[in-house]
Amino acid sequence: MTAGGALADLRVVELAGEQGQWCGRLLADLGADVIKIEPPGGAPEREVGPYYRDEPHPDRSLSFWHYNSGKRGITLDIESAEGADVLRRLVAGADVFLETLPPGRLAALGLGADELRGADPRLIYCSLTPFGQDGPWRDFRTTDLVQLAAGGQMAQCGYDEEDNPDAPPIAPGGGNAWHIGCHFALVAISAAIVYRDMSGEGQHLDVSIHEACSLTTESAIPTFFSTGRVVRRQTGRHSAWSMPRPRTQYLCKDGTYINAMFNQRISPERVRIFAEWMDEYGAADDLLDERYRDAQVVEESQEHIADVLHGFFPQITSEEACRGAQERGLPWGAVRSVDEILADPHWEDRGYWVDVEHPELDASFRYPGIWGLYSDSPLAITRRAPLVGEHTAEVLTELGLDAGEIESLRADGMI
Amino acid sequence: MSQRSPGQPAGGGARALEGVRIVDLSWVRAGPWGTRILGTLGAEVIKVEWPAPGSVHHNDRYTNTGRPEHIEPNLNNSHWFSEKNVNKLSVTLNLRNPRGRDLLKRLIAVSDVVIENFTSRVMQRWELGYEQLREIKEDIIYVSLSALGHTGRDHPFRTYGPSAQALSGMTFLSGLPGEPPAGWGWSYLDDTGGIYGAIAVMTALHHRHVTGRGQHVDLSQVGSGIALSGAAILDATVNGRAMRREGFPPGNRTHWPGTPRLDNYRGPMVAPHNAYRTAPGGYNDWCAIVCRDDEQWRALVAVMGDPEWARAPRFASNDGRIEHQEELDRGIEAWTQTLEKYELAERCQAAGVPAMPVQSNEDRVTRDPQLRHREMFTELPHAGLGPMGYQNLPFRASATETTSRRAAPLIGEHNREVLCGLLGLSEQELGEGYRDDSIWPEDLPVEPHLEAEAAAGSGAAS
Repeated sequence: MTAGGALADLRVVELAGEQGQWCGRLLADLGADVIKIEPPGGAPEREVGPYYRDEPHPDRSLSFWHYNSGKRGITLDIESAEGADVLRRLVAGADVFLETLPPGRLAALGLGADELRGADPRLIYCSLTPFGQDGPWRDFRTTDLVQLAAGGQMAQCGYDEEDNPDAPPIAPGGGNAWHIGCHFALVAISAAIVYRDMSGEGQHLDVSIHEACSLTTESAIPTFFSTGRVVRRQTGRHSAWSMPRPRTQYLCKDGTYINAMFNQRISPERVRIFAEWMDEYGAADDLLDERYRDAQVVEESQEHIADVLHGFFPQITSEEACRGAQERGLPWGAVRSVDEILADPHWEDRGYWVDVEHPELDASFRYPGIWGLYSDSPLAITRRAPLVGEHTAEVLTELGLDAGEIESLRADGMI
Repeated sequence: MSQRSPGQPAGGGARALEGVRIVDLSWVRAGPWGTRILGTLGAEVIKVEWPAPGSVHHNDRYTNTGRPEHIEPNLNNSHWFSEKNVNKLSVTLNLRNPRGRDLLKRLIAVSDVVIENFTSRVMQRWELGYEQLREIKEDIIYVSLSALGHTGRDHPFRTYGPSAQALSGMTFLSGLPGEPPAGWGWSYLDDTGGIYGAIAVMTALHHRHVTGRGQHVDLSQVGSGIALSGAAILDATVNGRAMRREGFPPGNRTHWPGTPRLDNYRGPMVAPHNAYRTAPGGYNDWCAIVCRDDEQWRALVAVMGDPEWARAPRFASNDGRIEHQEELDRGIEAWTQTLEKYELAERCQAAGVPAMPVQSNEDRVTRDPQLRHREMFTELPHAGLGPMGYQNLPFRASATETTSRRAAPLIGEHNREVLCGLLGLSEQELGEGYRDDSIWPEDLPVEPHLEAEAAAGSGAAS
């Protein structure tokens, strides 16, 4: 028996740009009724490519499609008194308000956390901003790249100096500073929902993308606290202060790579398992030798073992390497691109892809993804991203505005 | 380092997850990271460990990343372990031993949540699959966090963070074109997987609040990662475009010069968009600078002192800047190399140009004024490590706490509190567990802080 998504009883009002749209999308996946507010004419995120058939158009940005599926969309000029009043009424009927405006902007419009929470103490008002609501960097401007620089990601990603002495620190692509901020915004909102269930009380959440990025660097901060060391970048593997660690990324026959985990704690048993496998290709070198049954010898021979692996992998493809390893219980993985992931039937088995209807194009397209299987409250993508202003009349009517009032807002350029 | 004040206007230091009890069977990184978040939010997280020599739990506590070098390693002095296990309780139980497993079931019967990140069939082998968990506690919330999930043909796959990242497409996103992938310099998908674990727990708690029903949430770490490439996936499924292509990934740029002008899934295609060397030329002396539009570009030109080269018409439009990016970046870097990275970022920001220094782990702790102002770090005592810095959650909540309050527990520190206090074992039964391999491994010396309870009922006691 199912009852829609886990948050099916909740309404979210989203006033979020590039920093926050993924959080709204995840809330929609979880079943919340997410109403996205865009300025008249549509959000700037609609001008981000790639586009359907490479034709720039506000309703054809694939990036916008991905980050805004499952939501309803309205256009509203919140800078105007009438628009602000509509927003106030919308939020009054909502459980969660997610906003990513520069700190202080909404308060100046009479829409700050104090005002809106004063009107409704049950409201969860989540502000997601580059640096939080206070502090010396509060008003600094950022982008995804700039956040990854400040947050510590770039200092940890890149190449060994001997591989590429001129390489800069690398910021992985894909918009992950925004993802990281959104993930923690969703943590904050989810916790506030549970707290409200218990206490009846909402709250103001002040989420900092910078803090979220800084926290998402695994051992880097603990390493500094306990050893005072600065970590250094290493090609395709963890940054570390104890340089160099053996390689973990190996070129395969098809020009792609395998990530073969290989660290100080690799056991003689594992060495035997892959040496026997390599021996089938005549590539085991001396690794079947008795002396590798000694953990100490294995540890001291890491560079040599890595060299032997470098000689072996070019005989097979990265997918063969990955499957061969997994069949032997070795936790190694092919460095896949989206091309290989889409062709992997495992995800289809799991119902990961969703074919989303686009009636305006008379087509349906395959989206990712059902990121978790909730047995009693399944995730869903219920609709494609809204066209510009698609649900304005519908949502305002629900709010109790009559056709005349809606027409007057439209005539004034408010919606 | 100071304690972060518990919230802004109202405060009060309430705990969002007060009264939620979590049986934490997770290990290594992804699961513990999720329960660390839940513990900091106020859940009672009971970490179940089995520290037999050579076991994963044993090694986890010995991990030497982040242990002061002069300290002899033991089960209670890895800072790396302590950081990812703040605000938790530790109980030792042998789940391969019938008595240990029975105690676990009694614990589950009085808990709200079970979370684990084993490979896909471990819980079923222990007869602790969702159906069996429901028999123990009907409305239990069970969150499993495995590599590829519990369903699908490849569910037995095992991964670590780096191989999960490889399989999810995350590794491929990172690097210079024509070079091997640079990947991620840490287990990004362990962090991310753990966060989804925490989200699954909390959203399922809300669902239980509304419906009275628990459920199984079957998460896949790799699946969580794949969805982070949504625009690229739609470019493939809608436009048929391959991701393995010339010029991808484009380093720190949105487009690599001399390659087809295709969107590379990192926001608007603009230039400049890169990291530049700064003075005095050290390992992390770099600054990222982006101009989103012509106005920001003109502002940057002014900050650079209006150099002759930057006034060339070919740089006036974004299109031209992308076209002539090599020359553009050389010109900018000639200037950035004359300034220190924080000074450089401040000057750009004062003119409205997005720019930030590349910050190392040391920079973030010792130089970053924002993290200091926001009290991102806190110092906590620990019996094995002494006082040490810890991270807080990256948000403030007006009514509830987001600060780390207790460093990681010592191994088995809460055996008596949980097994006697919560489950009602007698002191004698607890002591027996130390001798029959159910509460303490027979091949591991009992830790000093547990000696008294281990001796109960043995004749050696009292």
